[in-house]
Amino acid sequence: MNIIETQNLSKSYAEFHAVSGISLHIPKGSVYGFLGPNGAGKSTTMKLFLGLTQPTGGTFTVDGMQYPENRIPILKQIGSFIESPAFYGNLSGEENLDIIRKLLGLPKSAAAEALELVGLTSVRKRLAKKYSLGMKQRLGLAEALIGKPPILILDEPTNGLDPVGIHEIRELIRSLPQKWGCTVFVSSHLLTEIERMADIVGILNHGHLLFEGTLEQLKSTAIKKGYPTDNLEDTFLALVDADNRQSERGCMQ
Amino acid sequence: MTFLLECKKAKRIGFYPALIGSSILAAAIPILNIIIRGEIDVTASKSPLQGLLGANWQLMTMLNILFIAASASLLYHTEYADNAMQKLYTLPIHEGSVFYGKTLFISVMSLLTLTVEFSALAFCSYYWYTPENSFILELCQNFGYSLLLLLPCVVLALLISEFCQSMWMSLGICVVCVFIATMLPTDQFLLSLFPFALPFQMLDTAQTVPYLCAACTELLILIVTEKIAVKIRRSIS
Ligand SMILES: Nc1ncnc2c1ncn2[C@@H]1O[C@H](COP(=O)(O)OP(=O)(O)OP(=O)(O)O)[C@@H](O)[C@H]1O
Ligand SMILES: [Mg+2]
Repeated sequence: MNIIETQNLSKSYAEFHAVSGISLHIPKGSVYGFLGPNGAGKSTTMKLFLGLTQPTGGTFTVDGMQYPENRIPILKQIGSFIESPAFYGNLSGEENLDIIRKLLGLPKSAAAEALELVGLTSVRKRLAKKYSLGMKQRLGLAEALIGKPPILILDEPTNGLDPVGIHEIRELIRSLPQKWGCTVFVSSHLLTEIERMADIVGILNHGHLLFEGTLEQLKSTAIKKGYPTDNLEDTFLALVDADNRQSERGCMQ
Repeated sequence: MTFLLECKKAKRIGFYPALIGSSILAAAIPILNIIIRGEIDVTASKSPLQGLLGANWQLMTMLNILFIAASASLLYHTEYADNAMQKLYTLPIHEGSVFYGKTLFISVMSLLTLTVEFSALAFCSYYWYTPENSFILELCQNFGYSLLLLLPCVVLALLISEFCQSMWMSLGICVVCVFIATMLPTDQFLLSLFPFALPFQMLDTAQTVPYLCAACTELLILIVTEKIAVKIRRSIS
């Protein structure tokens, strides 16, 4: 069963198509890796799901609910982290989480649990503006994880983390479907990273969905098209490169 | 609950010191005025309170609306500075709730400021003059009237701050509004309806009811504007 589904979802700014007619299928209980180079439209797609920006075409459903009629019930299901961490610099990490906890109507223990999950317990009393880059990132993740939402939307969650942090967060994401039965929709530029966490990948380039399926399916597609397969990063690059050349040709015609 | 959250979010940004400072400063105006310039002759006015208001209210209001303008800009600045506003939009809450929370918060803070100011006016009345028995009632009526006329200014300042993501931009616009308000003649009914000019009115004029109606109408219009603005912002995002 797909917990998030899109039908020809599009977003254009004036003449520019940031997302053009993508149809995603995100199965319940999976880690879905959303891959694409800079400016591919990953963050825009995620913002569409959260109602931060409005689609210019197509529709999507979250847990069977349509947007925009069910904006609030949809948002109740989702914990999110988009682009960069969001916080009040004048409040401590703990106070920041407490504000979100109260808005979500969660029990007091939820904030402490989220801080523990991302490893911020020891610095919870420090002001968020005095946090290091990685700590801010962790605070942003805690804000997404608080209350164990059934769906997590994480936009480049490991940005700015050290290797140990990257490993920790990756393991955390990997373990969430078993732990809470939640579905994770996670974006990245790095196939190597997605490879280690995701069950399913979607590859986006210039707003087009180039591929959707398991890593095995990606390999077999690559073999069919004659792309390199010994290293998935090369497969990804070849796929994007082929699409870029095709669209250039399209432009020239 | 949103009110308590707003109280929390206003910590450590200089809001509370500004609140205390501006209240004390405004409350000191009538007292200093008498100490420095000597007792005001109130025989011509209806009561000592009206005499004191006549002599001091313009300056006290100026401080009040400057405080409102600065705090509205500051409160929205904390929302926009580190992207917290975007996070709030992704939470399952009504999109206008941040605005209403802030409206309630600044209104309550204005109520506190006015309480301190009217206490100072009461002190002056009792210390230097001999008010009549109906003084407390008169004081409360003036207090309520001033609070109500302040509300449209609170809502407009917040609306401006919500739409200017840069604090300097919203503060600039609000300060320009304050100066326009001080230049408008207070005896011209239509001009004095400008939300930033409204709080300069005092209860002793014959036009109490029209001003009360005007304040309520403005509040309604501004809140409808906010509702429409939320819809427009959503559809163009
Ligand atoms: N408000 C906007 N107005 C105009 N264009 C926009 C706007 N927001 C995004 N875009 C454009 O949409 C495209 C997709 O942006 P998006 O942020 O979704 O990319 P991304 O895949 O997340 O890239 P990155 O990996 O760099 O984060 C970009 O070309 C960007 O310039
Ligand atoms: Mg992005």
